[in-house]
Amino acid sequence: MTSTQQTQRLDTVGSRPRRYSPSSDLRLALLFIVPAVVLVAILMYYPMGRAFQESLYTTPKTSWLSVDPSQVYVGLEHYTNLVNDDVFKQVLGNSLKWTVTVVLFQNLIGLAAAVLLDQKLPGRGIMRALVLLPWVLPGVVNAILWRFMYDPQLGLINSLLIGAGITADKTPWLAQPSTALWALIVAAIWKGFPFSTVMYLAALQGVDHEQLEAAHIDGANGAQRFRHITIPAISGIIRLNLLLTTIWTFNYFDLIWVTTRGGPLKSTHIFPTIIYNTGFGEFGNFGKAAAYGVIAVLVLLVFAVLYLRELRRSEVL
Amino acid sequence: MKKLLVLVLAAALVLPVFSLSAIAQEVVTIEFWDNQQSESGLSQYQQAAVEEFEAANPNIKVNVVTVPYTEYQDRLVIAVRGGTPPDVSTVDQIWNYGFATGGAIIPLDDYIAQSEILSQDTFFPGAWDSAAFDGQVWGIPFNIDVWQFTFYNADLLEAAGVDPESLTTWEGLKAAGEALTNVGEGQYGVGLFGHLGEDTVVVMNSFVYSNGGSVLNEDGSCALDQPEAMEALEYLVSLLPYAPEGAANAGSGDMRELFLNGSLAMEWWPALEQPTLLGSDLNWDFVVGTAPEGKTPVGTLGGWNLVIYEQSQHQDEAWQFIEFLTSKDINGKVVDLIPANIEAAEAFLAEERVGPDRILDHLNNARPRPLSPEYLQVSTIEQEMMQALFTGTSVEDAVANACEQINALLEE
Repeated sequence: MTSTQQTQRLDTVGSRPRRYSPSSDLRLALLFIVPAVVLVAILMYYPMGRAFQESLYTTPKTSWLSVDPSQVYVGLEHYTNLVNDDVFKQVLGNSLKWTVTVVLFQNLIGLAAAVLLDQKLPGRGIMRALVLLPWVLPGVVNAILWRFMYDPQLGLINSLLIGAGITADKTPWLAQPSTALWALIVAAIWKGFPFSTVMYLAALQGVDHEQLEAAHIDGANGAQRFRHITIPAISGIIRLNLLLTTIWTFNYFDLIWVTTRGGPLKSTHIFPTIIYNTGFGEFGNFGKAAAYGVIAVLVLLVFAVLYLRELRRSEVL
Repeated sequence: MKKLLVLVLAAALVLPVFSLSAIAQEVVTIEFWDNQQSESGLSQYQQAAVEEFEAANPNIKVNVVTVPYTEYQDRLVIAVRGGTPPDVSTVDQIWNYGFATGGAIIPLDDYIAQSEILSQDTFFPGAWDSAAFDGQVWGIPFNIDVWQFTFYNADLLEAAGVDPESLTTWEGLKAAGEALTNVGEGQYGVGLFGHLGEDTVVVMNSFVYSNGGSVLNEDGSCALDQPEAMEALEYLVSLLPYAPEGAANAGSGDMRELFLNGSLAMEWWPALEQPTLLGSDLNWDFVVGTAPEGKTPVGTLGGWNLVIYEQSQHQDEAWQFIEFLTSKDINGKVVDLIPANIEAAEAFLAEERVGPDRILDHLNNARPRPLSPEYLQVSTIEQEMMQALFTGTSVEDAVANACEQINALLEE
């Protein structure tokens, strides 16, 4: 607030008592909200709108790099082409396989680790800190690390498997279309599970111990107590966790790009990698890339709506 | 009336200021972008050269922006699309056509015709060709290299009794691969790679070129289904038993690790690899490429051209800077590949590289990658074809699939 405004305000206060006015409250509220709304509109909704617009146009090769490209309106052509495109089907299938598996195991392992870390075990503090390590690792570092581990000749994984007598040959994990996606799924689970662990660990602190003890006295065994008391008590967090990790996993980019760039033979392409590759890798195929992007947003929108509903239900909002 | 007087007085006050500034020459700042591929201190060398240029041209200031190689293409495309490109920049030879047809850069024929410093003969022919299309010249060659030289571990070859000269023929290379491979002990003969990257394409092209084949025909249609190209692909696949496992996702960088630790006997790189190898304690040397008996190895050219942007307000000054950067005395000081100026290259190679004569021979005998506005898509199709070949697809099927996709680009 400038000094002039301050003086004016003091004058007003001095001259007559202020009366409560709902409209001035509203104005004040709007004043606070406007900067955020403007920022979100400029940084998020405008680009989203532009991407949608872009997906309805195609840019001829003769002008795609001029300031004012002579775009040609093609309506929904990019979308209808995609629906008939084998690559699109492959990407959609990969995305589903990738998202469902990573989210499922990330949460199962995360929950198991949280239950373990919730026990009164020696060294629990150190373990809780250590388990966070994969999560705090920068994405690109994680990708390079796993690339090394999967290296057919120099990698840790093959030397362990061969050392233990499980396999005889050096398996090129990331170079076979049959194994590449699954190998990256393992890496993504490892990177992501600590987040779920921390969330579940926090939720477990809130479980009513008296209820657990009462059930114990009534003869319920550990599994029954977990199933009927712990799970219902943390169910809100489980749902939140599932939704958040679904959105993040669907949008994964760095791990795949650094290790395989979507190969071999598109076996590891998911939406974000194919969008980038179509728009930039193929020089100016922005319309098709934007159509991929819009479809990805539509898929994610379903989860976003579920997420918001969950937030309301758990009364966070 | 009073107003008019005020206006006249004001004009009288302001006019001398304008005329004075018109006399003093205006200082212009141009922006120059380049990328850096290795830890060679390139941007410091370029900065030193820029100071020399500014001293000779007091009315021009140059702002040098160095971008890491991996993000260079994206940064340029975004800058051009956003209306804020540099005045002058390097572009990869393979982007030059796309940038020209897309409307980003200007033809340079008028500048070249008037230039007293440079002409077509100043540069390696293949480098010049990479910027000359549709009857005009769209870039000036800046630096250049050729894929590939066959580098070898001399100790391993000697132990196996392989004569390095035999590596220049297909038959010899394959026999050497067999002699040098012992998979059980983690020893490999030849480093095949087929990951999604340009290095995959340049090596493949070189084998196709060396057998007299092409990637595209004159009209832009697919030439990979010609017998010369198919034979070359068959040959590459036949080397798989002597290569490290996982060729379909390996790049030349992965092969470097194996070569440096002594488990790979032969690898394909451009001359740019030499500083890395000189830094190791390996006993290495190289021969020029590999061709069938009786044919001459033909390499694939790589390198960068200097271009001037359509949206630049200072195109004349940008041209002066290009003349300076590609001149005989300067070109060798501002590149980490080989200078595209032939005279500068001779001096550079004599000083900086092992086997300058062999490198020059191979450079003069190299071909650029296909000149096409769709090059990047063609390249992606070629890369995926190699991945298919390295994961068990037959040459007939892989080539048929690739040609179908390439020919479909023509119809778009």
